[in-house]
Amino acid sequence: MRKTVALIGAALLTATVTGCGGGTLADGDRTLTLAESVTATPWDLAKASLGPESSYYQPVFDTLIRLDRNGEPTPNLATSWSYDKAQTTLTLKLRTGVKFTDGTALDADAVRQSLLHTKSGTASAAGEIRDISGVEVVDAHTVAIKLSHPSASLLPALGQVSGMIAAPGSLKDPGVPVGSGPYRLDTSATIAGQTYTYTRNPRYWNKKAFPYNKVVIKYLADPTARINALLSGQIDGGTVNLNRVPTVKGHGLKVATYQPGDVEGLYIWDRAGKKVPALGKLKVRQALNYAFDKKAILKAAKTGLGTRTAQVFAPGEDGYDARLEHTYSYDPAKARRLLAEAGYPNGFAVTLPDLSAAFPQEQAALTQSLKDIGIKVRLDNVPGDQIFSSALSGKYAMSYFKLGAPTGWDKVQLQLTKDSTWNPLKYHDPRAEELVTRIGEATGRTRDALFKQLNAHVVHQAWNAPWSVVANAYATAKGVTATPQAGLQYPPLHSYAPAAK
Amino acid sequence: MLTFLIRRIVAGAALVVVVATATFLLLNLTGTDVARNILGETAPRSAVTAKSHELRLDQPLVERYWHWAEQALRGDLGSSWFTGAPVNQSLVDTLPVTLSIVLAGLLLAAVLSVALGTAAALRGGWVDRMVQFAAVLGTAVPSFLIALVLAVTLAVQLGWLPATGYVAIDASLTEWLRSIILPAVSLAVAATAATAMQVRGALMDVLRADYVRTLRSRGLSTRSVVFRHALRNAAPPALTVLALQFIGLISGAVVVEKVFGLPGIGTLANSAAVRGDAPVLLGTVVVTVSIVVAVNLLLDIVYGWLNPKVRVS
Repeated sequence: MRKTVALIGAALLTATVTGCGGGTLADGDRTLTLAESVTATPWDLAKASLGPESSYYQPVFDTLIRLDRNGEPTPNLATSWSYDKAQTTLTLKLRTGVKFTDGTALDADAVRQSLLHTKSGTASAAGEIRDISGVEVVDAHTVAIKLSHPSASLLPALGQVSGMIAAPGSLKDPGVPVGSGPYRLDTSATIAGQTYTYTRNPRYWNKKAFPYNKVVIKYLADPTARINALLSGQIDGGTVNLNRVPTVKGHGLKVATYQPGDVEGLYIWDRAGKKVPALGKLKVRQALNYAFDKKAILKAAKTGLGTRTAQVFAPGEDGYDARLEHTYSYDPAKARRLLAEAGYPNGFAVTLPDLSAAFPQEQAALTQSLKDIGIKVRLDNVPGDQIFSSALSGKYAMSYFKLGAPTGWDKVQLQLTKDSTWNPLKYHDPRAEELVTRIGEATGRTRDALFKQLNAHVVHQAWNAPWSVVANAYATAKGVTATPQAGLQYPPLHSYAPAAK
Repeated sequence: MLTFLIRRIVAGAALVVVVATATFLLLNLTGTDVARNILGETAPRSAVTAKSHELRLDQPLVERYWHWAEQALRGDLGSSWFTGAPVNQSLVDTLPVTLSIVLAGLLLAAVLSVALGTAAALRGGWVDRMVQFAAVLGTAVPSFLIALVLAVTLAVQLGWLPATGYVAIDASLTEWLRSIILPAVSLAVAATAATAMQVRGALMDVLRADYVRTLRSRGLSTRSVVFRHALRNAAPPALTVLALQFIGLISGAVVVEKVFGLPGIGTLANSAAVRGDAPVLLGTVVVTVSIVVAVNLLLDIVYGWLNPKVRVS
C-alpha cells in the first residue's frame, strides 16, 4: 500500500518536471482550434439551435445559400433563386454533382426531405422556417419552396442552420452527422460535450474557401478559461467578454468587434399605461428617452464598445434610419420638464425586475438614470434564469432588456405588432399595425420607405428608450483572422483564414 | 458487522431519494419558463407551448415526478432539455474528470498532511509553528483563487502545464497527469491544511500515551514507534477529516473545473443549474449524493479494519 502511494507520488513529480519542457503543438498541420461557450445540440437538425450552437454544425452541413459579411444572400448549394409574383414560392436551382459524405447525391428530393425534417421540430432552427407550407421537387436540381405568406426572413434563414442540408438516410435520429459540407466529424477524436474534431471532406466542391485541414471545437464555458486558453495558445479563437478586451489586446491577440443586431436599453412594455398610468403619456415616454447618458453607460458597462442608438433596428437592417439616431439626446433637465408637463412634476413610482444577476452594470445604470429624473424605483429580485419569464409575464411596466432577431422583419414580428411575443401587455397602435401589414405586401423601394415610416413612428412615439446596439468581441490568435458577419453571434467558419505574415 | 452495513446502505438509499425529491420540488417551484429559455427570445408563443408539451411541463407536478422517478429506478435519468444528450451518458463522460482531480487532490492532501503533521508533531519548535501558520493560510485562501493564480502563472505565463482542458487517462497517461495537476493542487491546499492539523494533534496525543512510553522503554527506535504504532492509532480521526474533505473537494471541484475549463460533473451541474435544465441537475445530484453515501460507507468499513472495537459495538 505505502509503496503504491510513493510510486504515484513519484509519477506526479515526474510529470510536473517533464511538463516544464513542453510547449504547444507544432503549428504546421493547419489545424484550427476554436472554443465555444455553449455545448452542442443534437445532430438532428430538427433539434438544432440557431445561436453559437450552430458552430458545431457548420463544418459538416453546407447551407443552401451563403450570407456574405453584410448578411446579403449569395450562391452556395443553390446557384440561383427567384420568387414568384405573389412572393410565396421561392424556386432554387441546385448545384450539380454535389454528394453527401455517405455517397448519396444531393438533389432536389434530398433538399425537400431535409428542409421538411428540420421544420418538423420544435427547436429554434425549425422556428425560422415555420412559414414554409411545402417543398416541391420541380426536377432533379430544382426545388420550389412554398410559403404560407410572404416572408422576408426566408432567404436569410436558408443561409443559416435552417438552410443546412443533411443526407436523407441520416435524418431520423442520426448518431453521426452526414452532410455535404467542407469537413466531416472524426468520431475517433471526438468526445461528446467536450471536444469535436472534423477532418476534410475530400469531395467538397468549394475547398479553397476553407484553408484548414482540420477543425477542432472545444467546449469552454467559462470566460476566464477561454482567455487562459487563448493566451497560452491552446485555442485559435473564441468570444471574449467586453471587459476583457484590453487584457487580450495587451497580449498581442487580435480582437474583432461586431454587432449581432441586439439592441439594449429600457424597454417600455406598458405603453398604454395599464399598470403605470404615467407611461400611457407620450411626454413621459419621451422623458425616459432623455434620461440616459448613453455615452457614459457604454463606457462604464461596455468598455466603450457598441454604438449609441435611439431605434430598435441595427445598422444594416431593413428599416434602419441613421437620421433617427439623434432624436433624443442626454438631457435630464428636459426629461424633468416633460414629466412636469405631463402632470408628474414629482415623477412617479415604478417596480422593475432586478436583472443584476445577468446584467449588473446595465441594471445599475438604468436604476440610477431613472432616479436622476425623479422616478421612484422599486426592484424585484429576479434570478438569472428568469429574465425571459419575468419580462414576458406582463407583471412589469418596463425593464432593462436586450433584444435581437436575425433580420429587421423578424424584429417587427417579434415586438412591434399587437400579437408579438415581446409585446407582453398587448399594446395596440392602429397606425403601426397598418404599416406592418403594408410592409408585408410591398417590395423594393416602397417596402424600404414603409419600413422607415414604421421605424420613425415607433421612435417618435417613444415605444422604448433604447441605448445602444450591442457589440460582441471575438479574439483570435496571432496567426489567424476571422471576419465577423452582420447579424450573427459568432464569425462563420468560412471567414477564418491564416493571417498574412 | 453485516446488519450494521445493511442498515447503513438502506439509510444511504433513503437519503438519495429524499435529496432527489427535494431537488425536483425546488427546481419546479421557481417559475422559470424553461421552454422559453430553451428556444430563445425569438421563438413565437406557439413554439414555446409545443416545447412545454414535449417536455411534459404542462402536466401536474406529481405526475411528472412519478414519470421521472419511475425512469430513474430503471436506471434512465432522462435527457437534457437543452442539448437532448442522455443524462446517463453525460455523467459517464464527466464523472472521470471530476474523480480524477478530486482523487488526485485527496491523495496529494493525504500524503502532504501526514508528512507535515508528523513533522510538526515530532519536531515541534519552529517547524511546528511554520506548519500551523501554513495551515491557517491554506484554510483561509479559497481554492478558486489558488486555481486562478496557478493557471495564470504556471500555465499561461510559463507554459509548463496546459491552462485548460482534460485528457482522458486511456488516451495518454502523461497528458492526463499534466491536465489534472494544477486543478488537483488547487483542491488539495485547503484539504491538506485541515488534515495536517488533525494528524499533528492526534499524533501528539498518541505519543503521550502510556503504551508508547512502554514501547520506547523496550528500546524501539522512534521511527519504529511512530510509523508502526503511533500513526496507525492516530489514523482514525485523520481519516474522518479526510473523508469530510472529500465531500468538500467535490463541491470545490465546481469552481476549479470552471477556472481550468474542465468538462467535469461540476461544470455540468453548474450549467444545468444556471439554465434550469432539471433532468441534468437531478442526475448530477443523484450521482454526487450516492458517491458521498458510498464514501461514508467505505469509511465505516476502514474504521472497522483499523479499530476492531467498532465492529463489536
